[in-house]
Amino acid sequence: MSEDSPISRRDMLRGRVLGPLLGGLRDAAASRLKPLAPEPAPSGAPPDAARAEATSRYAKSFPILRPPGAVEEEAFLAGCTKCNACVEACPYDSIIHAPVRFRRAAGTPMINPVGQPCWMCADAPCIASCEPGVLRFDLPMKMGVARIDETTCLPWMGTTCTVCSEQCPVPGAIEVRAGRPRIIEETCTGCGVCQHVCPAPGNAVILMPMAQRPPAPPADGRGATPASECNADEPE
Amino acid sequence: MNARALDRREFIRRSALTAAGAVIAARGESVGAVSLPLLQGSGGDEVVWDKAPCRFCGTGCHVQVGVQDGRVVAIAGDPLAEVNRGLLCVKGYHVGKILYGADRLTTPMLRRGDGHVPITWDEAIDLIARRIHAAPDRFAMYGSGQWTIGEGCAANKFMKAGLGSNHIDGNPRLCMSSAVTGFLSCYGVDEPAGCYDDLDACNVLIMWGNNPAEMHPVLFSRVIDRRARGEEILLIDIGTRRTRTTDHCQEYLEFRPQTDLAIANGIAHQLLKNGSWDTDFVSKHCNFRQLDPEQPANMYGKPMTFDEYAAALEPYTPEYVQSLSGVPAEKIRMLGDLFGDRSRRITSLWCMGMNQHTRGTAINCLVHSIHLLSGHFGRPGDAPTSLTGQPSACGTVREVGTLSHLLPGGRTVANEAHRRDCEDLWNVPQGRIKAAPGYHTVLMFEKFCTPSDAGGDIDTLWVQVTNPGQTLPNLHKLFNRKADLEGKFLIVSEVYPTATTRLADLILPSAMWVEKNGMYGNSERRTQQWFKMVQPPGEARDDCWQTIAVAHRLHELGHEGMKGNDGEFIFTIRDERGQIVPIWQWERYYDVNVDRHLFEEYRRFTRYKNKDLAPYDEYVRARGLRWPVVEQPGGTWRETRFRFAGFDDPYVTGGAEIQFYHSVTKDDRALVWFRPYEDPPEMPDAEYPFWLDTGRVLEHWHTGTMTGRISELRRAMPRAYVELHPDDARDLGVQRGDVVRIESRRGHIDLPVWINGRGSPARGQVFVPFFDETRLINEVTLDAHDPFSRQPDYKKCAVRVKRVPPDGQTR
Ligand code: SF4
Ligand code: SF4
Ligand code: SF4
Repeated sequence: MSEDSPISRRDMLRGRVLGPLLGGLRDAAASRLKPLAPEPAPSGAPPDAARAEATSRYAKSFPILRPPGAVEEEAFLAGCTKCNACVEACPYDSIIHAPVRFRRAAGTPMINPVGQPCWMCADAPCIASCEPGVLRFDLPMKMGVARIDETTCLPWMGTTCTVCSEQCPVPGAIEVRAGRPRIIEETCTGCGVCQHVCPAPGNAVILMPMAQRPPAPPADGRGATPASECNADEPE
Repeated sequence: MNARALDRREFIRRSALTAAGAVIAARGESVGAVSLPLLQGSGGDEVVWDKAPCRFCGTGCHVQVGVQDGRVVAIAGDPLAEVNRGLLCVKGYHVGKILYGADRLTTPMLRRGDGHVPITWDEAIDLIARRIHAAPDRFAMYGSGQWTIGEGCAANKFMKAGLGSNHIDGNPRLCMSSAVTGFLSCYGVDEPAGCYDDLDACNVLIMWGNNPAEMHPVLFSRVIDRRARGEEILLIDIGTRRTRTTDHCQEYLEFRPQTDLAIANGIAHQLLKNGSWDTDFVSKHCNFRQLDPEQPANMYGKPMTFDEYAAALEPYTPEYVQSLSGVPAEKIRMLGDLFGDRSRRITSLWCMGMNQHTRGTAINCLVHSIHLLSGHFGRPGDAPTSLTGQPSACGTVREVGTLSHLLPGGRTVANEAHRRDCEDLWNVPQGRIKAAPGYHTVLMFEKFCTPSDAGGDIDTLWVQVTNPGQTLPNLHKLFNRKADLEGKFLIVSEVYPTATTRLADLILPSAMWVEKNGMYGNSERRTQQWFKMVQPPGEARDDCWQTIAVAHRLHELGHEGMKGNDGEFIFTIRDERGQIVPIWQWERYYDVNVDRHLFEEYRRFTRYKNKDLAPYDEYVRARGLRWPVVEQPGGTWRETRFRFAGFDDPYVTGGAEIQFYHSVTKDDRALVWFRPYEDPPEMPDAEYPFWLDTGRVLEHWHTGTMTGRISELRRAMPRAYVELHPDDARDLGVQRGDVVRIESRRGHIDLPVWINGRGSPARGQVFVPFFDETRLINEVTLDAHDPFSRQPDYKKCAVRVKRVPPDGQTR
């Protein structure tokens, strides 16, 4: 779709996929506010050396929003054959090919929620279609986590908006108190629907792709990282 | 000369009128705090800021519009505006983008076969004028509450004082006219006595079938803000469907459609039974009233005594009201107790829920009546206040009188003295204005969609600034039939392709919002002004110019009506040197400020009903002023917040506390009405077992012609849906996203189901928004209307709901 906002390299380097930055119209209300979200804090203390190594390696790269159930990034890059099956399986055309500027990841499947988010199909045809098994049913359907910028979100600014909580496909991921939404990070899957639908000038949803996904579980299906641990690295 | 230089010149010229210097200086001063209009010396890349009311709803927020290189590049809430104090709603923040949709109409287009071909403006104007000239009586004009005041003044004068025809109506007939008949029946004069300040002062806010959290979000925020600051305010939602407003209310009283009349009568019954009505207020300021069975069409009815009034209310016990409405008897008692407590400050708000009602006039009268009976009137916070949906339903339609039975300033065509008055003020010969009202909206379109030889005596219809092809009820009957008729000619002045332009024979591209000078009047009697800031695209031109150009072409063709008493063209405007400015030539149209001239002419009509407006330049300085605006001894102008209240309204005489100085009974008293509950014309039955309710959503403004071009809003709310009660969904075997068919006796549409989404209707009821031009719910609605206001009821008719098997789409 022509109105998709291209993901600039700078945004990617900042480690996030941003909402549309007010094409043509620079809203004074928005420019008064921060057009870009605050820098994510450095990752939390890694639990072990291996983790630390992984973190530093990723720090040189940037997280990418993968389809649901994706294995750890190195394994993903090694295993994905760019066969196109998940792209074709998705009924919403949510999965696109990472553009060239994604370097090593170019051509691999990713999601840009501003154009089309993942609608969290119960039967996940994308996973079902993945023959090499880098999208897996035995991994959590956790792609990232959304955050709401309380300096841009309309109800936090004093006016009515309920779109994200109404459209969120994950029950319990967005809680509304006194009209204002809050993301429950443990439950949020990072599908990006809230970012896609948010009508706030400048978009009030910041979507952080998972910085670290769990490795592929051993054949017996154990090894999936619990969601809470996934979130350990998320900035607060 | 580059485009920017031209624009800069335009900017300066538009204010380079008689008082140019003064205007600019005054504006600089009034906006000092935000350092805005950089009219002089803005070179290069600077953004030039100016004020304008928001283009969308009747709340009437002010925005600051930033212009750079001839384009609107920024929008901000205006902190100097009392209405919104810097806040906007989600639509308002994006309002600048309405100008820049990819499919703006930019050339006049004439139907040729199934398509349209471009023609020149000269050809278009000539074509319209010749059609009118050939059969002036068979021509009608249909406008809206989005007409600027100037556009409404021009159209009204052109029709009533020029063509001598009253076949001009506007879409407020579909949304506001029951509020009008309610105000007239109770106070003898239209429009609310209170204003938004009541929202800051009330401690009970009752919303009657009203959803301000979505439809008037900035007003609702004002109330919610007070609560957030720790103020006690009781919010009561009396409705047929849970909405985003309900989320914030302490009380939600869900009633069966139409039984709001029973609830209001139940409250009055409680006041009498408890002896808690305000005997002092009523004995000084009220008379009792009922309809006259011998003259049922007379909206003003006949007197009744207090005893008769009490006897009429006798049946409306809380238990009886519960049996009709489903609202528990103790809640009716609670409402009675609230109204019976004079220490409370009670504001009632309503909008389409009460107005789009076959008993719209009656329920409007009853809500006013319980406020009068209980004395909750005339103190800040004690007010029955109707809200409007369009930015100038009040300013242009109700005040300028662009309805088929009205004349400017609260006059009617049926009244001979009013006609004489207007003929004098317009300087046209006596007898020019017809006494018989023209066709109201439903009738106008019925006549247009009936063959000419079968009584369909409107052949040419000019629609400006509205989209009846989507908003009329029962569209198959009132609009779509036009497609098959010979000899009918539909002219549509529009900014984007719509459901209406689809059937147009001639499409005229219009300038919109800050592409032209304009004035609007919002829900609280506030008249607002803005200047043209950017050029319209292509050949798009002001609607007001279009009307004047056609009038002038008729003048050239020798139509006598286009001449005034002095033999001059009725829209003659002279410059400071006394030279006539040929404003009918587009190149010369902005040589003068036509808006200012039309407004100054119109202003003279407004004194009669004490709706006084200030001179144009006062509005240039202000973020709107609430009428009556009365000149003070020092030459300043003062607005009025609380009408009829001695402490604020300058027209209250003799130190009275309250004076209803336009009283129907000519004794300075308002009328307390008795109107019984009656069943609606169509109710669910075995064949069509569901109620259908229709309405709006926060993200889209009315038919989405403008908001549908804003990608953020479209993504947030892409298409229409149907809300079902979870139990009904279960019985139908459908889940969210499944498609159902909504079918009435008139038509059907297929819609995806949404359960517990934006709103939740009661069991046995469905709700469908009307913004989506790809799914026209008005092909299903009923064209039954209120007998006094002629306003159709979009809120209730009978439908059946059937599951549609999946078509392969999963979402
Ligand atoms: S879960 Fe569904 S919507 Fe999401 S990527 Fe997979 S197929 Fe597409
Ligand atoms: S959609 Fe955006 S603006 Fe609206 S509530 Fe959610 S985050 Fe806030
Ligand atoms: S749409 Fe209405 S509430 Fe929203 S900003 Fe405009 S005037 Fe204010």
